[in-house]
Amino acid sequence: MRRYFLNIWEAISTIAKGMGVTLVHFTPARKSITIQYPDRTPVPVVETLPERSRGMLTFDPDVCDACSMCAMTCPIDCISIDRERVEGAKGFVLKRFDIDMAKCMYCGLCTEACPVKPKGLEHTREFEGATDRMEDLILEFIDEKKHRELVEKALKKAEKLKAAQNEE
Amino acid sequence: MPEFRTEEMVLNMGPQHPSTHGVMRFVVHTDGEVMRVAKPDVGYLHRSIEKIAEKLKYPQFMPFTDRIDYLAAMNCNMGYAMTVEKLAGIEVPPRAEYIRVIASELNRIASHLISVGVMGLELGAVTPFLHAIRERETINDLMEELCGARLTYNYIRIGGVAQDLPAGFAEKTIEFLDHFVPAVDEYNRLLSYNKIFVKRMADVAVISAENAVDYGLVGPNLRASGVKWDLRRDEPYSVYPQFEFDIPVGTGEKGQVGDCYDRYMLRIREMVESSRIIKQCLAAVPDGPVQTKLPASLKVPEGEAYVRTESVRGELGYYVISDGSDKPYRLRIRTGSFSAMSIVELTSRGLMIADLVALIGSLDVVAPEIDR
Ligand code: SF4
Ligand code: SF4
Repeated sequence: MRRYFLNIWEAISTIAKGMGVTLVHFTPARKSITIQYPDRTPVPVVETLPERSRGMLTFDPDVCDACSMCAMTCPIDCISIDRERVEGAKGFVLKRFDIDMAKCMYCGLCTEACPVKPKGLEHTREFEGATDRMEDLILEFIDEKKHRELVEKALKKAEKLKAAQNEE
Repeated sequence: MPEFRTEEMVLNMGPQHPSTHGVMRFVVHTDGEVMRVAKPDVGYLHRSIEKIAEKLKYPQFMPFTDRIDYLAAMNCNMGYAMTVEKLAGIEVPPRAEYIRVIASELNRIASHLISVGVMGLELGAVTPFLHAIRERETINDLMEELCGARLTYNYIRIGGVAQDLPAGFAEKTIEFLDHFVPAVDEYNRLLSYNKIFVKRMADVAVISAENAVDYGLVGPNLRASGVKWDLRRDEPYSVYPQFEFDIPVGTGEKGQVGDCYDRYMLRIREMVESSRIIKQCLAAVPDGPVQTKLPASLKVPEGEAYVRTESVRGELGYYVISDGSDKPYRLRIRTGSFSAMSIVELTSRGLMIADLVALIGSLDVVAPEIDR
């Protein structure tokens, strides 16, 4: 009989102790740690993320030298690169550079493998990639116009190089 | 009076059940409220990670190790890196070793927080879970600063770690730990000493030391049964021998040694021990590089290696066979959750149905780690 009431008393007193902990959180000593995402944050969440945060990938065709190291490093082949040789220019020129963000697992191996500086391929902090069409997640960085531009650039570079060699 | 026909009833718990950790199924044979036996049926989350490894180059496999145990990705990274390093004879710079230990111990705290929070949640206490998640959030933020991801870190590399510690990381970690150790006391007041919670956990699903060893339990589940076995101490690797920390074992403080409460309390104690390790580690980090330069295409000499580390769920072993090429010939992973599932059948005999949830929760199994 005594045990029975003791049990009840212990249950009540330990719950009260726990409630005490909860009560402390109503006092101004404990600030709320939750935020109202997405529309009521003082600054967009993206801006509060740390520097290294691995979000959507971004690509800069102007620094890339089409070595395709990134595509070879990716464990799940989400980077597709087409490149071609241009008559009169050295190396390759990019024709297609697609990243399938729907497949990507944001591991960061590709950006680590990129040998040029600044890196051609990099993570942004952007993480809000939700869309209602899968195709939207395939990022195409090179279109016809950009390709032509790259070819011209490569030719110009080669010409310059030739001119410099001739002067010597 | 007509005689009541009694027969065994078979209940399916899962594969989609809110109180199993992930997708797994238990076939429960019941006699009223009491279970005759509960048979675990695993394999729903099999992703053939071991087979994938055979198709990928050694460094490329690292992100997949994250997905073996998503609550302890850092520990899984570390085990794999250590195995390949052993096989290929790669030296790790001392600074990287320290950073690895800091990261894995932080990860251990994060995982145990989920574990103890979920134990409360499964027995009907929702608030403590949110307290645990709140603390874990800070660890997630720290990890994001360290490596850029919050769950699938992919931070440890063969031959070191991906990046050096970011500026201000040590201060922030110490600030968190100073806040965290008192928060554990608060958590205890909230949940651990609650009479109702204790009654649900103490003396329930007792696993004797003998059975624990026979069934190959590892990690916290083994130690809760009173067996003092921790690879960090008994088969030291990395820089663990330099630190002072205790190995908590089950004492049967509220019931018997090896009951659910012991398994729960042990995790609470381990979090505090991990905090001690991190503090010592942060104070001792040497300067220097964090990564050994590897050849562009890493070829591993012919041979085989098995390395086991103390992950959050106990012994995590990687067995790699190399045929001298740049891909593993065979890779096998031994995980703690798998062996923990095997003892469910034995322990569930004669338990109440409601206690099955307490048993599974206290074993702290993670479904992807069972199946891989
Ligand atoms: S982040 Fe990883 S998965 Fe995504 S493209 Fe780069 S290597 Fe591939
Ligand atoms: S690794 Fe860098 S330079 Fe090479 S193709 Fe990819 S983005 Fe371009």
